[in-house]
Amino acid sequence: MPQSDSEDFESADEGHSNATRKERKKRNSSSNYSDNLDSDFGQRKPQPQESNATEKVATTDGWDDFDLDESETVKETHLKFENDKPKTSSAQDTGWDDFGDWGESGTVKSEEIKQNTTLEYSNNAQNQPVTTKETEKQIKSDGWGWGWGVDSLLSSATAGISTITSQVSQGISTVLETGIGAPNPEELARITKEKAKIAETEVSEEKQEVTDTTFQFGSLLSGVTKFVENTGTKVISGGLDTLEVIGKKTMEVLQDGDPGLVKKRAMLGLETEKPILSQILREAKERGDEEDKMKEAKREAKEVHYESLFDDFEGLVHLEALEMLSRQVSMRIEERLRSSDPEKRQDIKETLQQVAELCEMPEEDEDDDYEESGDLSKEDVFHERLQRATRDIGLKLQFQPLIKQYTETLTWLESNELNEKAIYKRAVSGLAHATACCVELYHKTGEMLLVKPRRSTADEADALTQLTVVLTKHVSELATIFTEELSKKQGEDKESVNNYITNVFLEAGNSSKYIQNAFQLTLPIIQIGAV
Amino acid sequence: MAYAYLFKYIIIGDTGVGKSCLLLQFTDKRFQPVHDLTIGVEFGARMITIDGKQIKLQIWDTAGQEAFRSITRSYYRGAAGALLVYDITRRETFNHLTTWLEDARQHSNSNMVIMLIGNKSDLESRREVKKEEGEAFAREHGLVFMETSAKTAANVEEAFINTAKEIYEKIQEGVFDINNEANGIKIGPQHSTAGGAKAGGAGAGGAAGGGCC
Repeated sequence: MPQSDSEDFESADEGHSNATRKERKKRNSSSNYSDNLDSDFGQRKPQPQESNATEKVATTDGWDDFDLDESETVKETHLKFENDKPKTSSAQDTGWDDFGDWGESGTVKSEEIKQNTTLEYSNNAQNQPVTTKETEKQIKSDGWGWGWGVDSLLSSATAGISTITSQVSQGISTVLETGIGAPNPEELARITKEKAKIAETEVSEEKQEVTDTTFQFGSLLSGVTKFVENTGTKVISGGLDTLEVIGKKTMEVLQDGDPGLVKKRAMLGLETEKPILSQILREAKERGDEEDKMKEAKREAKEVHYESLFDDFEGLVHLEALEMLSRQVSMRIEERLRSSDPEKRQDIKETLQQVAELCEMPEEDEDDDYEESGDLSKEDVFHERLQRATRDIGLKLQFQPLIKQYTETLTWLESNELNEKAIYKRAVSGLAHATACCVELYHKTGEMLLVKPRRSTADEADALTQLTVVLTKHVSELATIFTEELSKKQGEDKESVNNYITNVFLEAGNSSKYIQNAFQLTLPIIQIGAV
Repeated sequence: MAYAYLFKYIIIGDTGVGKSCLLLQFTDKRFQPVHDLTIGVEFGARMITIDGKQIKLQIWDTAGQEAFRSITRSYYRGAAGALLVYDITRRETFNHLTTWLEDARQHSNSNMVIMLIGNKSDLESRREVKKEEGEAFAREHGLVFMETSAKTAANVEEAFINTAKEIYEKIQEGVFDINNEANGIKIGPQHSTAGGAKAGGAGAGGAAGGGCC
């Protein structure tokens, strides 16, 4: 399919995203209009996989990437992209590994926080020594990494709560209690992870969920720490847990009726189903190009179409006229047979049979005894053969169109620097033209025979048989001239040159058939001279 | 060239009335004062446009010599139009019209459109046949009439094209069965193939568009 070819071609233009895009396409079973958007993602996707884990955190792509891995393993697509990456690695990626990744990022973040908070502390230290100690502890444990960080944060928070319960109001502690009762974020994430692992078919979706959840916690955490920086310990610790609860609640609300946050993500513009104008235009243009190409091919096909060329050179109309003439003459012969006495009828039949036998084509005996008379040009040799063949016909035949066509062909082949296609075109049209001239010759000869005052059937039959030999030989020679020329071009595109050569011989065979057919149509015209 | 219809014409009439010159003027827009005697039949073709449709006129120019009479008769068959030509400077060519007309009517289909042409209208000084006589003959035999000059090209286009219009009208009226080639009308090759190819191309495009997802 040419269309799909161009599709491939187009994606190649867009860079290395080809395989990724296909993958995407398959997974989403989206329309091809979304290609552009898809490929945008696709292009970025392979990157984080190869780079180190910290970078992954920076964008959602890191997670998208996992999502992609999963879908590959699950769906077993047959794309190169998959082969580039061992399946085992992608499987490993899905596990705790990424938690480690997040842990590292956690380190980065909490270190940052530490710096900030330390600065803040210099202001607050004198006023609230106890709280400072608490916060410092909390921050230090944060340094262990994200995963542990949350845990320690929580434990320190709980510790904080126990030490400062008295200072905290009743309302807050109530909130705190609920906060403590809730599963900590890490636990929550881990559970979801496990679930994701098991539910293989929905892996990608689940992952996404986990991603988002974790993210929410991440930002929540930073928000919380900032809060810690600015407020007193009592409030901080309490507020921290309170906020955590709020965060969890928020996630619940967010995901309520929207599992995997599909709709929300769609709202963020990650939706890939929309048609893109540039894509549509590009496709329209491609279709247009395709149609132009088809038109061009059709035009060219017509240009080298033997039958229509034969028609253009008036071969067909002469053949038609010859057929009409032949039919009419045959009818006259039939009538003569009918109107004759029975014994004379037999005589007529025998005569007709004899003439028909005279007109049988001789076996290929190659009696080129007196060939190549001197240093005559090819067209002169041809002309001489024609004249020798029809010497006894008793008519002045016009060979000029045939000779002229031959001369033109020879000149054309000599004078031009030609490519194989031009030679092929010329070969087909040359054969069609020569054949049209031949058919015209039979037609004219037939007409002239019919108005000839004194018929000499045997001579006529012999002359026309000889003429047919010369003419069929001529078209096969023409074909040979062209195929020899084509053979010289073998180096360029062997297959098409061979095709051309085959076609030229095919059309030469066609030409021979036309010539012999024309000769057969002339037979009644010869016969009628004898009866 | 692609065409919607092909009309077969025959040109008949006495030798030397200018049949081949009319054809040459119509197809090549030139005039050749000295012309070889036509042997049997010669051909000419030209594309014209009627009602926005491309029509190929395939013209069979017959020999006027008496010797070829029996041959040329076999070519009448399957002609949609005929130009029956006489020479306004030679009365005998006008007098032979009846014979030609009988021949034409006998050997061609009854729906054939016949245009009577009084040629050599440029030779007014040597005129032997009045225009009114031609008109009267045409009226009498139900022909279309026109005086032309192959030399000056006067009315040559009109003669060929008006005949084609007449045939075209007959097609529209359903008088001619265009599917019967004996009527001298062929439907152009592009009629069936172009439509099919177009639909095929669109179909292929659609399939490719849907198939790649």
